[in-house]
Amino acid sequence: MNDILAVDAQGVTKTYGSLRAVDDISVRVAAGEVYGVLGPNGAGKTTFLRMLFGLIRPDAGTIRVFGKTWEDSGVRVLDGVAGFIESPRFYPYLTGRQNLEGLALLDGGTPTGLLEEVLDVVEMSERADQKVGGYSYGMRQRLGVAASLLREPRLLVLDEPANGLDPAGIRDMRALVKRLAGRGLTVLLSSHDMEEVEEICDNVTIMTRGTVAFHGTIAQLRTMAPDPGHVLATTDDVRALKLAENRFAITVARDPGAALIVTGPPTEVSSYVGSLVSADIGLLALTPTRTPLEALFFMLTDDPTHQSLDRPAQLQDTLR
Amino acid sequence: MTQPITQPMTTGQSAPVRTVGPDHVARRLPGPLTALRWEVRKLRAQYRARAVLLVAVLAPVAIVVVIHGQSRPPKDTLFGRFAIDNGFALSLLVLGFASQWVLPLLTAIVAGDVFASEDQHGTWKTVLTRSTSRSRLFWAKTITAGAFATLVLVLLAVSTIASSWMIVGHQPLIGLSGQTIPAGTALQLVAASWAMMLPPMLAFTCLAILLSVWSRNPAVGIAAPVVLAMVMQLVGALGGVEAIRPFLVTTSFEAWHGLLTEPRFSGPLIEGLLVSGGWCVASLATAFVLLRRRDITGG
Repeated sequence: MNDILAVDAQGVTKTYGSLRAVDDISVRVAAGEVYGVLGPNGAGKTTFLRMLFGLIRPDAGTIRVFGKTWEDSGVRVLDGVAGFIESPRFYPYLTGRQNLEGLALLDGGTPTGLLEEVLDVVEMSERADQKVGGYSYGMRQRLGVAASLLREPRLLVLDEPANGLDPAGIRDMRALVKRLAGRGLTVLLSSHDMEEVEEICDNVTIMTRGTVAFHGTIAQLRTMAPDPGHVLATTDDVRALKLAENRFAITVARDPGAALIVTGPPTEVSSYVGSLVSADIGLLALTPTRTPLEALFFMLTDDPTHQSLDRPAQLQDTLR
Repeated sequence: MTQPITQPMTTGQSAPVRTVGPDHVARRLPGPLTALRWEVRKLRAQYRARAVLLVAVLAPVAIVVVIHGQSRPPKDTLFGRFAIDNGFALSLLVLGFASQWVLPLLTAIVAGDVFASEDQHGTWKTVLTRSTSRSRLFWAKTITAGAFATLVLVLLAVSTIASSWMIVGHQPLIGLSGQTIPAGTALQLVAASWAMMLPPMLAFTCLAILLSVWSRNPAVGIAAPVVLAMVMQLVGALGGVEAIRPFLVTTSFEAWHGLLTEPRFSGPLIEGLLVSGGWCVASLATAFVLLRRRDITGG
């Protein structure tokens, strides 16, 4: 593995008027890892990635990509770097192939046959000679991946690559990213989807309102995640609540929507549900609220619309 | 350098694909002309650009036919008195009309769009994440717009002069001082007059580029230079503005008058070159700084 970090951002800040879009964040991505930048919309993920690509100048801090900075190396900082910010965009009056040929020209050319190969990878060979103006969102997304692979990257930066894709497209995109990562490519992936990051990434930075709320491995994140929660509907909620009073390993509370929320280790929840059945209380529904990591994500990003009822204050203290 | 990387996106299929591993070496930088080739390729693919070139070839022929077919000449315009029976006069009549707003419009259709269309399509982030710098893209677009303006002017001039020559005739021309100019000399002077449109036309090209970069809106980039041309014409026609009149780009469009007097004078030509050059430098320098400093946040 290379000693030089793929991305080494230190103290990066970007301000628009009174808004601090990115506030003194530091991100270090080792070569060969799959790194997630996670956060809700407006957290500053895309602004950070735009600064990495030189589309936006940071007000403070430095970003090194494979040891190079924009100040020292200019456009050469992007050697071996490819990807797209938000949805990939192309010239609608050109065909997919013409777009790729033009972009290859701006890269100084590509090895013979590579263009056809990347079109094959994203399964766009048959549609490559149609104008991009007629492409669906998913097709443009695929063409964006092809345009990135055309640069033969060492670092692939993908900003919410599954956005706007149907479930099959999301599955294929994740499979592709995994395969690329398996070949030694460094992948920096931004997302607002915890499940996506959990599935693909080794390390993660969680951002909220321009700052870093968490930085570490997915494994570390899992150890900090709260117990899973379930929405419980019974024929007699009052008795169900009463039965939970002596069970200290779980928490049962009534949520504003009048359902019961059960939180606790899966074995304890299972035991509690069994006791409800034994007590002749009818079980109408038991559905998970969200995965533990999702719950943790909402805690960290402090999104008021996703506040967990069982938010443990000490966990917040630990994380911050 | 390359090695197999992956299979097609959809699981269950395979294709021989290659790409790089972690030991990837730095890619080569594109040559100085590659961005220009890309811009020219894009321009050639645009219907609008081809339509402008077609108009530059066909419109003069139609205008010549229509004016030649009129029974009464447009006497209140320069060279209008002789336009229906002298091909050189008719070429100069068309020239005078074109310089009002047609030339600024024809150049602005490309120059006013060349930067703003990247904003319109959201493609700045696409091209600026490749291996070509903003400076190279700026000059490639500027050269493309300038070359297109030159081509439009050449086509317009050749089409006008040729159709006037063939349809109306090539009798000796009566100059602005009443002198008779032999056909051979008249042809050279008419061609030179058209050529003298190039500096102010390039000035409007650069102005359109500035407006395109500043506004990020193709409609503004295309329409604003035409409006500015009309405003300049109006200001130039007002009394009491003698001090600023030489600095208007539109004044340079009249520099050719000196070629058709006896004796000829070249002062307005030199003045026009300097003024147009000044507008070009100021517009391009401002546009360059704006583009270099800009944060690309859209798209």
